[in-house]
Amino acid sequence: MADWQIDLIKVVFIWVWALLIAVVMTWVERRASAMMQDRLGPNRAGPFGLLQPLADGIKLFTKEDIMPEKARKILFLLGPPLFALPAFSAYAVVPFGDKIVLGGKEIILQVSDVNIGFLYVLALGAIGVYGMVIGGWASNSKYSILGGLRATAQLISYEVPMGLALLTIVLLYGTFSLREMVLLQQGTFLGFLPNWGIFKQPLGFIIFLVAAYAEANRVPFDLPECESELVTGYHTEYGSMNLGLYLFGEYVNLGTLAAITVSLFFGGWTLPYVDMSKFLGPVAYGVASFMVFFIKQAFFLFLFVWVRWTVPRFRYDQLMGLGWKALIPLGLVNLFVTALLVQLTI
Amino acid sequence: MDLYFIVFAIMAVGAGLFTITAKDALPSALGLLTVFIALSALYLHLHAPLIAIFQVSIYAGAILVLVVFVIMLLITPDEDLENVQKNMSYRILGAFLGSYLIAVLAIGTKGVKDLLHQQTLPDGFGHPALIGDMFFKQYLLHFEVASVLLLVALVAAIYLAKKNI
Repeated sequence: MADWQIDLIKVVFIWVWALLIAVVMTWVERRASAMMQDRLGPNRAGPFGLLQPLADGIKLFTKEDIMPEKARKILFLLGPPLFALPAFSAYAVVPFGDKIVLGGKEIILQVSDVNIGFLYVLALGAIGVYGMVIGGWASNSKYSILGGLRATAQLISYEVPMGLALLTIVLLYGTFSLREMVLLQQGTFLGFLPNWGIFKQPLGFIIFLVAAYAEANRVPFDLPECESELVTGYHTEYGSMNLGLYLFGEYVNLGTLAAITVSLFFGGWTLPYVDMSKFLGPVAYGVASFMVFFIKQAFFLFLFVWVRWTVPRFRYDQLMGLGWKALIPLGLVNLFVTALLVQLTI
Repeated sequence: MDLYFIVFAIMAVGAGLFTITAKDALPSALGLLTVFIALSALYLHLHAPLIAIFQVSIYAGAILVLVVFVIMLLITPDEDLENVQKNMSYRILGAFLGSYLIAVLAIGTKGVKDLLHQQTLPDGFGHPALIGDMFFKQYLLHFEVASVLLLVALVAAIYLAKKNI
């Protein structure tokens, strides 16, 4: 196979994988929320209601596409794709496995190993907000505009702590490449702990996780949607597949954030204490490393659902207070201490 | 002239023209977003991936989001900006600022003769580590002056925003 064919296969795989996660997550969300509230949840379509996402998809596709009369037409249609596309693109730099040998050729399980990988994810996360803003503004409805407004303010506030938390990780590993970061997390730390980012950067991890929830607009920080105040916020006026793209993009975003969390703080595709490549064949090792990565990612995806149905929503001033008065000072102190430690140990 | 450059250069210039001619404020901001992304693609083409990413994450991701925030806070889609655009003092001010920028650009043309003969890139050009090295060794003073400037702006903003400190 030529190189471009391999690249094409990897891109298609990543898209299908991201889509599958998003589809299954809609089902997981509804079933898990039902479980937590002592209900059954959707259980009619297929076994355990597994075909429910498919039924929802058909419904969204066949519904009439309604546009408010006073909406800005072009921008209104531009919003949902602008929200969903960056979310998908961010997957390109996620290292979803080590490498697999097929037909004597070593294939790295990552679409593109660029040395600025992780800044790329941050940049795309920031671009995603334009989808919400454009959608909210173009709808020409007060709820939508307030939703978009909140989305921008929230993004600016939580980008700073997220960046500060990630800076400590960069200081620690000395690279921007996600693949190199994962490789540096092999072995043990202090003799008995896995050499994972979370044990070296516990505070950084907490700051990152909180900021990630805010960036993904998940409860407890889903103020841009906030049903009790804004109907559904920036996508109030959307229906049919335009709405579907927004909902979908959100789950794809969750998938990316979970994957980044795993790569930065939980050793990516590596298992603690065990080196899988020693006793597995080259093909089996590739598959196994992907499975390990996927299981870790699935845990964080479930954590998103878990938190959503456990914690109540913040008030908007509390959200801003947490961002500016708690997370940013904490992040700065953490960065300072880490820089000092790194400087002293080198 | 290669195709890649031409496509993104046209995109940048076109979006720039749209930015200054658009009737509404938000589409104008989106035009600016397109300019930033086209510039970022051009930086990538010049083997400077770090600058390209910073262009997107800082300018498009932070500064322009702030601009959009202000637009959404102050202007509704129904409102038009004609009274602002017809205001003569804004136009005169814009003319002054514009001519100043053109003058800066004209100074930049001094380096044009360097473009004529091809140069080979130094080893590891555009690598983040190399840029960091340059910042903290060769250009440390410039770097610190820029950070002090930002600090001054920060203090000033807080002073303006808070009535009693």
